Amino acid sequence: MAADVRQSRWQWDEFLRMRKEVLARWPTGQEVDLDEAVAYQQGVPRHRNFALTVLRAKSEGITLAQPRGGFATVEEQIALLRCLQDQGGADLLPLTTDSYTRNERFAEAEKGLAESVSAGRSLLNGLPLVNHGVKAVRRVTEAVEKPTMVLSGTSRPCLTAEVGLAGGATGFLGGGISYTLSYTKELPIAEGIRNYQYLDRLCAHYWEQGVPIHREQPGFLTGTLIPPGLGVAIAVIEARLGAGQGLPHYSVGLGQALCLAQDVAALGALERVCREYLGRFGFGATTLTIASHQWMANFPQDEAQAAGVIALGAVIAGTAGVTQVITKSAHEALGIPSPEVNAAGVRLTQQVLRMLEQWRLPLDPEVETEEAMVAAEARAILDRTLDLGDGDWALGAIRAVEAGVIDVPWSPSRFNAGKALPGRDRFGAVRYLAPGEIPLPPEVREYHRSKLADRSGGEASGMMSERLLADLTAVSRPVSGNFGPDGWRDFQGYAELLRRRAS
Amino acid sequence: MRARRRAETRTVVTGVIGADCHIVGNRILQMALEEAGFKVVPLGIMVSQEEFVKAAVETDAAAILVSSLYGQGELDCQGLRDKFEEAGLGRIHLVVGGNLVVGKQEWDEVERRFLAMGFNRAYPPGVDLRRVIDELRRDLGGPARDG
Repeated sequence: MAADVRQSRWQWDEFLRMRKEVLARWPTGQEVDLDEAVAYQQGVPRHRNFALTVLRAKSEGITLAQPRGGFATVEEQIALLRCLQDQGGADLLPLTTDSYTRNERFAEAEKGLAESVSAGRSLLNGLPLVNHGVKAVRRVTEAVEKPTMVLSGTSRPCLTAEVGLAGGATGFLGGGISYTLSYTKELPIAEGIRNYQYLDRLCAHYWEQGVPIHREQPGFLTGTLIPPGLGVAIAVIEARLGAGQGLPHYSVGLGQALCLAQDVAALGALERVCREYLGRFGFGATTLTIASHQWMANFPQDEAQAAGVIALGAVIAGTAGVTQVITKSAHEALGIPSPEVNAAGVRLTQQVLRMLEQWRLPLDPEVETEEAMVAAEARAILDRTLDLGDGDWALGAIRAVEAGVIDVPWSPSRFNAGKALPGRDRFGAVRYLAPGEIPLPPEVREYHRSKLADRSGGEASGMMSERLLADLTAVSRPVSGNFGPDGWRDFQGYAELLRRRAS
Repeated sequence: MRARRRAETRTVVTGVIGADCHIVGNRILQMALEEAGFKVVPLGIMVSQEEFVKAAVETDAAAILVSSLYGQGELDCQGLRDKFEEAGLGRIHLVVGGNLVVGKQEWDEVERRFLAMGFNRAYPPGVDLRRVIDELRRDLGGPARDG
């Protein structure tokens, strides 16, 4: 049945048919009464609504800071959210689910929850909100003054969304293409798209009843040196598919590569190309907001170095002028952060954002060129995708993955071609070492080639694993000072420098 | 690329256990093992205990290298040694590495916990892969040389 996934809007009875099966996946599904949930959400004050908060920030030109985070029990989760809100100054709050919940392995989540309770510490990496049920989730969302969003890295969001939204969450992160390619091994893309169509249709229903629900796709993909044009293309398709189910507002994002020029350019291209395609295909009225995810790959183990990564992430978000920045903590390399360390990451980000508020950098021409290249790459992938789908974006996406036109580096999915290989150029920007079947326009291909040619150090030397590891750990390596006893023979000496200055 | 390849004919199994989908480090490990000459059977992400055992039986593997990055490794790894014993492979070499627990905990204590669980080696995040491969060779009884 997933084989006939198309972009068209689901009929309500089609949605209800699947809903019956969704709610039966775990006993707490029976607690979800959609009419009661909508009525409950209509009473949630505006300052606790995620979509309204984001739209207000967009209209006022403000960047909101949003951490991730989740623990096994309701009490721990409330303590975490209060800490992020009060000590971190977070604008938006997370309900990150544990990995069993993300994979709908609710029986294992139940066991992990029980063991967490008896051990007195969380053995789960997030909140098993389906196991907790609607009433418990309401206790969490009512315990704070900021809006909450469900963060569940999953291709199977349906029941988690039903319980989360009925529980007072007003946002849900995820996309059918992005998460299926980043977080699954065996699930066909069509299934992932279908599951997210269900979610988008559910959220559109809330909107129609006067309850804004924030939908957002996660542009970070595998988080590991994703060429931004590819990320933009996938974001555009997911925005289009969401709008197609009736969503009047959608948020798209990209993961940071920590190359200031390229990251800022990519976020500009993301908004430009997304607007362009939504307009071209009849969804010009959809409001669009942009999210920037702080570094998603290898973090330094050292807390001071990690703070540097977070600070640069805030600079990127503030310089690009995005509406949301998703923050990291100084314990990222070590695992799930404590509430206090997590809150410190938010505070650090807020501090940098505040300092950048009155001070915007003039754009370097290099950033403009980069933005044009990212946009050209995205458009080429999008146009080929639409061709492959005979005018249907859902079908096009499925076929584009099959054809390797959409090919996410490091994807664990067996449906992903895995031919495209990224690396950094000498300025730290992400380029294609090999584009595989991704249809790069000639000028983009040449641009990447020329940037890589500048890269110092030979590509042929050394083992491939060590070369890739060098790129992947460029950010996380321990720092050391420059200039030991070696290498002074080639230095001309300061007398020479002074002579040159005098002449 | 294969300049430092040594004669090494043994098979090892790699995979990310449980509901974890962090593949990048695991792929690099696979690549480094292959470059060191091992024959690698990569099971990818979200590998169950049963799948590790099945792969070991089918490929006559000398060692199993279990990765976990998402914090729930402590739950996922419980009983893995027993599963191998049930399959008659009780003495197989078991290695685990990554972010094995939730939160920042003392590594010595984490290592003790995983060794007590029946692993022969446990490695913290960011470990040098050359060390992992050297110790693997040593633990398996030196590189098997084919003349």
